[in-house]
Amino acid sequence: MTKIKQKLDTCMTVARVTVKEYLAYRSHMLVSLFVGPVYFAVQYFIWGAIYGDGGEIAGFEYTQMIRYFGITALIGYLTWGSADWNLSMLIRTGKFLTFALRPLHHRFFALSQKIGHRSLALFLEFIPCWLILMAVFKINLFPAHLGWFILSVLLASLIHFFIAYCIGLFSFWLVKTDGLRMAYWLFDSVFAGFLIPLVFFPKWMQFIQFFLPFQYTSYVPAMVFLGEYKLGGYELSLPAIVGVQALATLTMFVVSELMYRAAMKRFTAVGS
Amino acid sequence: MRFIKLYGKCIKIAIAGALAYRLNFLLTTLLATILNALFPIVTILIYNAGASFPGWDFYEVLLIQGVFLLTSNLAYLMFDGVLWTTMQHVREGTFEVVLLKPLSPLTYLVSTTFTPEIFGGVIAGSVLFGFSLFFTGVSSFAAIGQFLLLFAGGFCLMAGLCLLMSATAFKWVDNGRIPEIYDSVMTFGKYPVTIFPQAVRGAASFVIPVAMIGFFPASALLDRVEIAAFFAVIPCVLFMLFGIWVYNKMIKLYEGVGG
Amino acid sequence: MIIKLNNLEKTFVTYKRGSGFGAALRSLFKREKVIVKAVDGISFEIPEGEICGLLGPNGAGKSTIIKMLCGALFPTGGEINVAGFKPARERVRYVKEIGAVFGQKSQLIWDIPPIDSFAMNKAIYGIENSLFEQRLDELVKLLDVSEIIQKPTRVLSLGERMKCEFIMAMLHNPRIVFLDEPTIGLDVIAKANIRDFIVEMNKKGTTFILTTHDLEDVERLAQRIIIINHGKKVFDGSLETLQSELGRKKIVELKLHKNADLLDIKGAVVLDKKSQLEFTLEVDMDVVGISEFVGELSKQAEFTDISIKELPMDKIITAIYAKSHS
Repeated sequence: MTKIKQKLDTCMTVARVTVKEYLAYRSHMLVSLFVGPVYFAVQYFIWGAIYGDGGEIAGFEYTQMIRYFGITALIGYLTWGSADWNLSMLIRTGKFLTFALRPLHHRFFALSQKIGHRSLALFLEFIPCWLILMAVFKINLFPAHLGWFILSVLLASLIHFFIAYCIGLFSFWLVKTDGLRMAYWLFDSVFAGFLIPLVFFPKWMQFIQFFLPFQYTSYVPAMVFLGEYKLGGYELSLPAIVGVQALATLTMFVVSELMYRAAMKRFTAVGS
Repeated sequence: MRFIKLYGKCIKIAIAGALAYRLNFLLTTLLATILNALFPIVTILIYNAGASFPGWDFYEVLLIQGVFLLTSNLAYLMFDGVLWTTMQHVREGTFEVVLLKPLSPLTYLVSTTFTPEIFGGVIAGSVLFGFSLFFTGVSSFAAIGQFLLLFAGGFCLMAGLCLLMSATAFKWVDNGRIPEIYDSVMTFGKYPVTIFPQAVRGAASFVIPVAMIGFFPASALLDRVEIAAFFAVIPCVLFMLFGIWVYNKMIKLYEGVGG
Repeated sequence: MIIKLNNLEKTFVTYKRGSGFGAALRSLFKREKVIVKAVDGISFEIPEGEICGLLGPNGAGKSTIIKMLCGALFPTGGEINVAGFKPARERVRYVKEIGAVFGQKSQLIWDIPPIDSFAMNKAIYGIENSLFEQRLDELVKLLDVSEIIQKPTRVLSLGERMKCEFIMAMLHNPRIVFLDEPTIGLDVIAKANIRDFIVEMNKKGTTFILTTHDLEDVERLAQRIIIINHGKKVFDGSLETLQSELGRKKIVELKLHKNADLLDIKGAVVLDKKSQLEFTLEVDMDVVGISEFVGELSKQAEFTDISIKELPMDKIITAIYAKSHS
């Protein structure tokens, strides 16, 4: 019990300190208040032109499509994280050592940091952009089922974190991991669903997404928001897809733990 | 002449430096190519789903995006490093290093900050451009002449935007999101501007003429160019001059404060 | 004995990397393996409450030893025991017993005041509120940083930051503190402050192990000196023993009244001649006693000023490195 209390205390303290740290850079987050609506405006106009008088494309109606793009932009603010970059930096500068000498799991520290950072983003990016999108573009940005949506976004944020952490761990083996991080970002931008709903892809590509981590960070919560999940010809109920998402998150957690152990083995053998 | 010699030497050094991290360099260049090659993916998927940008067929849109990639990456190849180097120097208070060189600061920065990884983008742009041109064809030599003029205009605009970004870095220290601000606005140039509402179309043509990065030059090749496009070259050139002026102004201010 | 090392070894495998365009291109296809024995059979024991200086040229293996002592690195061979723990094997429990300050690797968070970083370590180490307050108060008073810890770390001077690094490393009251180049880059006053602090904490029972290139650190702090070269221990003993290592020699600086030949005193060698009237001599005390030397000197020459000093540390150490090398 006291152990859990101490963990919680550590998490809260690290999160609070992180909020303070990033408050110094609040102008970075406020950039989103301009950039977010501008990117959205482009989508709003091109899809407006494409739909013309209405109809359905790939099973999406115009309003659904617009709501999809609105919510994926907003979800991004709650899931994004730089754990990969932070960890790479710590390893490259040798500062990881200062964590190896403290009695905690670095992943737990990094997750606490993310909690702090995203809490700040909730107030500085998510809520203002949510209001701007609704006010300027007159679109409905309320989820179909609030509970499932919140759960799905939390899982999305978690799985994003575990993936990023794994990528960061590669720095123990490679001198520079920019290439790797770019590769991840590349696949993520295509298959997470930021560019376009995944149902636009060929059927087989949609199907393999069930076994890749990307859709769980963005497409899944966005579809949960719309209230109907479909991919690769399957339609799943909200509890079912959130369950699948939870399973995927658990898998990534296990992968990150295995990689962490291998990394620590290498770290204590080589020292960098 | 001296500048070209210097630039050549710096490019060689930059490539040798990048090769020192071998796996990483291969990956970043390859990925930059793929990343940029994937740029028209949304267009492809939209047309595959049976939809379209009204008034434009598939290869015409690809051509616009090919020109966009080519123009923007050529500009980044020269100017992207200026932004990051400026940001780093200002953050660490070491911009004096640049001022001590026996060259104009801008010349020095442009030549020493060549970024080899961006080649990927140039390659991808050329391929997409060539590929779509193969299907659309070129109507006349006059069209090629018009294209080159407008293409140069697009490059001027990009140069201006890059320099403005770099100038922003003097005032807004340590903000890695500066490029996003410019990129978000540039996004309007990735599509045929005719599909936008009238006001947006006017802004993208004359106020910040992002249409010049891809749309105007491509429409010249397609023989669909409007006279207005040629007038838009003027604000493009103004943007470049303005960019140079603002950047140099920022250096003057920095000297005043930092000195 | 709080620290016991027995025949400790550490081997690394690295790859050669050339410089220049051609070599970089070639390294894409072929790399040469190099095996480095960083630590080659080192043994020593350190009792609780000691300040021990670990010396050696760059690449001698000091940092590797420190990292093994901290539990961040597994030894390739030999035994290591600190405060009853096998450091790398029982890392999480072990690190609560130790603190570490690495001159080049900050634990503080750059953009916010040190006090917030301290609060973070309080949570990480699970320090009780009252203990934390008391400990922080004590350290802050000792280092005189009560105002500094409220300012963002990035505006602090290097010396102020280093003081805060020490607080960060010692809040949980560790039994042993490892210091890697703790005074690197600091000005004279800051160095003195840090040294006073280390001495003060040592009086209260903390054991310190430090690596340094600053010989003044050694002279002011270390009761015990271990010198490492090429992964081997080449000296282990007190400062006095080290000073007598090259024989009992003293340095004599002289200012003469008028020209004289001085080459005649047995056991004295001229090291330097700044001008016709200013000499530096090295005098071997085993050959000629100090009063004997002064007596002989006053017979041979008239001098206006004389100062007698110990052999400088860097000279002794360079000599030891050279000896261990051959």
